[in-house]
Amino acid sequence: MLENLTEMLKGVLEGCVLEIISRKETYGYEITRSLNALGFTDVVEGTVYTILIRLEKNKLVEITKKPSDMGPPRKFFAINDAGREELRRFWDKWLFVSSKMNELKERQS
Amino acid sequence: MVVRIIKNERVKGETIMNFWEKITGSDMTKEMKSFESRVKKLPADYQAAWGEINANLWPHSDFTGRNLIPILDGVLGLLEETAADGQSVQEVLGDDIKGFCSALASEEGAKTIRDKWREQLNKNIAKKLGK
Repeated sequence: MLENLTEMLKGVLEGCVLEIISRKETYGYEITRSLNALGFTDVVEGTVYTILIRLEKNKLVEITKKPSDMGPPRKFFAINDAGREELRRFWDKWLFVSSKMNELKERQS
Repeated sequence: MVVRIIKNERVKGETIMNFWEKITGSDMTKEMKSFESRVKKLPADYQAAWGEINANLWPHSDFTGRNLIPILDGVLGLLEETAADGQSVQEVLGDDIKGFCSALASEEGAKTIRDKWREQLNKNIAKKLGK
């Protein structure tokens, strides 16, 4: 759809991934496909991987390794309490930013 | 001198192994060997990408490169998973392997030797300035 969203998405992708994880336990490939289906077609699994590492490092998710039909075991990600709290903060921030952006746009015309 | 250190360490059992591995780097050689055999099982485009990732990660290495081992291990895991899914490496990593690597290095907090020098320099200057 829109091209070159990468820069703008950088700040919000972590929240997107966390939101997807919060709905159900999932893994990198599935998360990437959900983002693609949503319209963020440029997002690749490598990018999601770096975000998942950040979420893991910040202890916002729980990880389980599960055997897969093909290839090595997969890492599954589930949200934990700290993650839910972070997600709530993310949506608060997003609400603030998006309302201010709209305000700015409306005022200009 | 070195001998005496080793003798002291020997008492602590396992420490001697870690110490030995650390000064010879044999633990890293072992890891790199096991990476190699895993990489050989990947499709050709993945192997090429692995080479590029390695080249891009080295500037983020500390003095020995030991800090990169867990990062490389994780990336190799990702490549194995995605290759098994039947994706092309282009689909998985996109065009920006360099960006992927610097994101990886900063997420995992890999500090380069230069970062450390910079830190030290800043600290020394702050000290000189009496801060």
